[in-house]
Amino acid sequence: MFFIPGPVIALLTFPGVIVHETGHFFFCRLFRLAVFDVCFFRLGNPAGYVIHERTDNFKALFFVSMGPFFVNTLLCMVFCTAAFLPVWELKTPDPLAYFFYWLGLSIGMHAFPSKDDLSNIWELAPEKAKHGNLLAIVSLPLIAILYVLNYARVVWADLGYGIAVGILGPIALFRALA
Amino acid sequence: MRQGTCSQCSVKGPLRTYFQHDGQVYCQACAESIPRPSTIIDPTICAGCQADNGNSEFSLIGKLPFCAQCQKQFYERPYPQWLKLTLAGLLMLLVVALVHGRKYFHAGREMYVGEKLVTQGRYGEAVPHLRQTVQIAPNSDRAVLLFAKASLLSGDPGSADTALRAHDGGRFEDTTEYREVDRIFGRATNAIKETNQAIELAGQSGKEQEAARLMHHAADSYSEMPRLAQMAQEFDEGDAFVRKDYDKFLAITTKLVEANPESPAYSAEMASALACKYAVTGDLAWRQKAEAMVEKARQLSQASPEAMKGHEEYAERIRYRLESREIIDKPEYDRRFRVGKAQAKN
Repeated sequence: MFFIPGPVIALLTFPGVIVHETGHFFFCRLFRLAVFDVCFFRLGNPAGYVIHERTDNFKALFFVSMGPFFVNTLLCMVFCTAAFLPVWELKTPDPLAYFFYWLGLSIGMHAFPSKDDLSNIWELAPEKAKHGNLLAIVSLPLIAILYVLNYARVVWADLGYGIAVGILGPIALFRALA
Repeated sequence: MRQGTCSQCSVKGPLRTYFQHDGQVYCQACAESIPRPSTIIDPTICAGCQADNGNSEFSLIGKLPFCAQCQKQFYERPYPQWLKLTLAGLLMLLVVALVHGRKYFHAGREMYVGEKLVTQGRYGEAVPHLRQTVQIAPNSDRAVLLFAKASLLSGDPGSADTALRAHDGGRFEDTTEYREVDRIFGRATNAIKETNQAIELAGQSGKEQEAARLMHHAADSYSEMPRLAQMAQEFDEGDAFVRKDYDKFLAITTKLVEANPESPAYSAEMASALACKYAVTGDLAWRQKAEAMVEKARQLSQASPEAMKGHEEYAERIRYRLESREIIDKPEYDRRFRVGKAQAKN
C-alpha cells in the first residue's frame, strides 16, 4: 500500500470535492437549513466543508449528510458510462473518453460521507428508527457500511468504490440493454 | 444590549463580555481564576453582524441569536457564480459525453448482442452485429475475438483472418478466449490447406479418387463451412465421371441442383450427366432431359457475363456429347477442337 498526501489526492480529484460540497449545500437549501459557512475546495484538511444549522428533522439531516453520496455516485456512473465502452471494452484511443473517465472516477471517489456527516445521522437514527421512521430504519445498515468504508479509506476504499461504480455500473447497464 | 454584574467583584458591563460557571456570572478578569468558564450569549446581540437589538431578543438559529438580515443571508445563501458556471459546464460536458459516445454505445450494444448470440450458438446471426463493433473498435480484444469466433464457426474464415490481422498486427494477450479462437482458426486453416491440395490432385490424371478423399477429410474437419462439403460432392462427381459411373454422376449432380436450384454451373453439370446417360444408353428421353437442362442452365447464367461465358464453353461440349454419343473430358475436347482453332486464329 502506498501513501499519497491528502491534498495531492484532493487536487487530482478536485471535481469530486466540489460536487460533494455542492451536494451538501444544495440539500441544505432544499430543506431550508441555515448555512453558516461553505468552502467548495481548498488545499487543506478537509478539502471542502459546509457548516450548517443542526436539525432534528431526520429526513433533512439524512439528505444533507447522505445527499452527496447519492449525487456523486449517480454522476460517477453517468460520466463513466459515457467513457466505459471506449476505454475498457473497445480499447479506442479517445482522449475525450479518458477525460470523462477521470471526471467520473474523481466524482465517485468523493462519494463517501465524512465521519462527521455519518456521526450526525448516527446520533439521531436509532431514536427515530425506534419510533418507526422508515428512512431511519433503512439508513442504519447503510450508515454502518459507510462507516466501515470510511475507515477503509486508508486502503483506498474510496478509489475502489469509484472504480466499482464506474465499471460495474456501466457493465450492468449495457448487459441489461443488450 | 444586556448588562451583567460580576458575582465576585460586582463590576458591571456588557453581558456578552462576561462568563459563567456553576450558575454564577464573572467578568473577564475574575473568570481567569475559574477553570473552564463558558461564554455568555446575549440574545439581544446578533452573533453574525453584532447588531444591537436593545432589550429585544433576536430569534435563534441553533443556540445563536441572529438578526433578520443575517438569517436571510444564512438561509438564502446564493450559489457562487463560478459554481453555477461550473455546473452548467458539467451539464454541457455530460451532453457532449453522451453525443460523443453515441457511436461507442452503438458499437458496445452490438457487441453485447453479438456476444449473447455467440453464447447461444447462433454464430451466423452474431456476425453482422460484431462486424459493426469491429469496424469502430478494431483493437478491442474482446470484440475481435468474438467476431473471429462467430465468423469461423459460421464458415467464414476469411473475415476472421482479416479482423485478427487488423488487431494490433495480429497480437493478442494469451487468454482462454484467444486460445479457443486460435484452435478453431488452426482447424479451419488445415482444412483450407487440404482443400488446396485436393484441388491440385484433382488436376492430375488418375488422382481423382485421392482428391475426393482428401476433400472429404477437409470438409469433415471444418464442417462449419458448407462450401467444403459442397466441394467434396463436386470432387465425388468428378471421380464418378472418371470411373464412368454415370448413375452416381447423375445422382450427385441431381442432389447439387436440388440444393442449389439457382446455380447455372450445377444445372450444366446435371445436363452433362444426363448427356452421359444418353451417350451410353441411346435413350432419347435422356437426351431431351439433357437439352432441357442445358436450356435451364443458359437462362440461369444470363445473370452475369462471367457465368454466360462459362456456360457457353460447357454447353458446347455437352452438345458434342449429345450429337456424337462420345464421352470425352475437357482436355481431350480442347485438344481435338479448340487448340486447332486458336492456332488457326493466330
